[in-house]
Amino acid sequence: MIELLIHQWKEKIRSPFWQKSIWLNIILGILGAYLMLNVLVIGYFADVILSKIFIDTDVVESFLKILFYYLAFELIFRFFAQQIPTLAIQPYLTLPVPKSKLLHYPLIKSISSFINVLALLLILPFFVKVICTTYPPSFCFAFIITVISLIAINNFLNFSLKKYFSKRPLLIIFLLAIVGLVIYLDVNKVISFSSIFAAGLLSIAKTPILVMIPVTLAILSYSIVYNLLKRNAYIEDLQISQRNNTASLTFLSHYGEIGNLMRTEIKMILRNKRPKSLLYISVMFFAYGFIFYQDKNINNYMILIFMGFFFTSIFAIQYGQFSFSWESTFFDSYIANKIAPFNYIKSKYLLFAFTSLISFIVTLPYALISAKIGFINAAMLLYNIGISSVVLLYICTFNTSRIDLGRSQFMNYQGTGMTHFLSVLPIAGFPIIVYWLFNYFGEPVYGIVALGFLGLMAIIFNKFLIQIVVRQFVKRRYKMALGFRQI
Amino acid sequence: MIQINNLRKAYGKKIVLTIDDLTINEGELVGIVGNNGAGKTTMLSLILDLIEPSRGTVKSKDQFVSKVETWKSYTGSYLNEGFLIPFLTPLEFLEFIGKLHGLNSSDVKNFLSENAAFYAEDSTSKKYIRELSAGNKNKVGILAAMLSSPEILVLDEPFSNLDPSSQSWLKAKLKKMNDDGVTIIISSHDLKHVTDVCSRILLIENGLIVKDKNTNAETLDELENYFNVR
Repeated sequence: MIELLIHQWKEKIRSPFWQKSIWLNIILGILGAYLMLNVLVIGYFADVILSKIFIDTDVVESFLKILFYYLAFELIFRFFAQQIPTLAIQPYLTLPVPKSKLLHYPLIKSISSFINVLALLLILPFFVKVICTTYPPSFCFAFIITVISLIAINNFLNFSLKKYFSKRPLLIIFLLAIVGLVIYLDVNKVISFSSIFAAGLLSIAKTPILVMIPVTLAILSYSIVYNLLKRNAYIEDLQISQRNNTASLTFLSHYGEIGNLMRTEIKMILRNKRPKSLLYISVMFFAYGFIFYQDKNINNYMILIFMGFFFTSIFAIQYGQFSFSWESTFFDSYIANKIAPFNYIKSKYLLFAFTSLISFIVTLPYALISAKIGFINAAMLLYNIGISSVVLLYICTFNTSRIDLGRSQFMNYQGTGMTHFLSVLPIAGFPIIVYWLFNYFGEPVYGIVALGFLGLMAIIFNKFLIQIVVRQFVKRRYKMALGFRQI
Repeated sequence: MIQINNLRKAYGKKIVLTIDDLTINEGELVGIVGNNGAGKTTMLSLILDLIEPSRGTVKSKDQFVSKVETWKSYTGSYLNEGFLIPFLTPLEFLEFIGKLHGLNSSDVKNFLSENAAFYAEDSTSKKYIRELSAGNKNKVGILAAMLSSPEILVLDEPFSNLDPSSQSWLKAKLKKMNDDGVTIIISSHDLKHVTDVCSRILLIENGLIVKDKNTNAETLDELENYFNVR
């Protein structure tokens, strides 16, 4: 087990990304520590915060009600973000290492995941400060064991859900709908699940023998996922789990080389973990409208423009900023084959336009809140298709970092460089500046019209703009290829 | 001894391998030949319990390989670079495997110096396996399979990517190991090498063993005729 741990550590520190991006790792480390400190502080002052928000409710009960929501959202977050910390087990399968050990290892290791650490950092200060000073030791013991068991259940249940739903993606919507319904019923006090949860947890803490229930459930969730993994511990399962059925997209073949390139890229997105998880995350971001499109913001054009930009480019920009790097593992074949650079760039441009259009359509219902949203989003759609796409593709010709398509997007900064941080700034900043200028002269609406108009002009003259990117691409392609070959 | 009974591997409706009955006796040196996709690697993977049979069983020393894992302690194998640990140096990798078989670091180094003609490990090199050439990766994998002095050795296309002198070394080594009693199963597209070293040839076509015979002076001609390579 220790040897496996050492291997995983070596795998991390010897990865080319780790070695090349030491500064990025330091920054991420500092950000992680900052986040943990914040959570720790929130946990420590939770009693003060809760007593001010829920004046008439006991602070422990309030905390447990919040814990109910925390665990519910944590499970959803885990589902999309937390991966089973798989060791690439293939090399070990023929060695005298029992399969059971190879399967227990990643599960046990998952206990140390960042999400579990965050949960403990939130709960432990409250536990020490409030629970330990108020209740008898038996209550404290049962309380903390129950809470830890619940976190463990979430941890292991997530892996089982992932395994189950990976073959039934449409059921994910059903699952989310159930969670949404539970929260809706709770918030509207139809059925107060959070109160039931709080009462249940307090009952267990008051009768410590009942702690066996959550502990047993935690063990059960572990054994379920262990058996699931055991059934899939053959090479073919490892390979098949990475394979997904996707539409053949044959209709794109009718559009010549450009259609063919788009078809390949869409398949690449749908068949590989990292771009696909980016797609899922982007879909989740669409819910941001419920937070930002509130009455108080409806006359704030700055926010509406930003949201319009965000919504109509959410996937396109996130995905697009790694353009060319996505193809790093087979970029050489693109160079070696007879592919016209113009068609190659144009296919990416059209993909950008296509995904932006889809994003616009999906978020169009927000226009029911106010027609302004529809108007601004339409202008930002034109801006994004016409200008953002071309600028981003131009900047992306400076991408030289290889990307491993098989890894999840979450907390994965492989392929990320300063280019990516800098690329989004001018694209996102330009609409704000244009609007600000028009607003300064008292014509804010014209600012939005101007953005849409600029975008429309850029779309009309797209061939000319794409040619600029093509020239840059042709000049840079060997440097890009060289970078992409660095494993 | 390896016994295969009523074995079938299918993906959906497509049957990729069917072996009704096959026994590989102790001390045999068996070569598996066949066209691409014929089922050679599938057969080796089933022997090594790397893939789940759709039906049937594989036994090694009278124990079902899918149920008891003791076969791993006396079987050395190398199928492809997916079985190497890419972020270790070759020495670290071999030391890791040695440790699993109760060998210490100096045992591994001795083993390497004994086989330096095949693969000369530069102890000062910090190159990871992923940075090696295809041929050197193959050599590291083969040596790892041989390191524990296994009773059974399973190699998938061991001659591929090797330079001529390494191929020749490997042939001699396999013969020597076989003379020492090691049961060896290899697959290869190189008919000359296979007929040179193997005592028994299995010809697989479309998932079926269509020929199973001991090697003799005519075997190479027969195979070359079969594959139409003359």
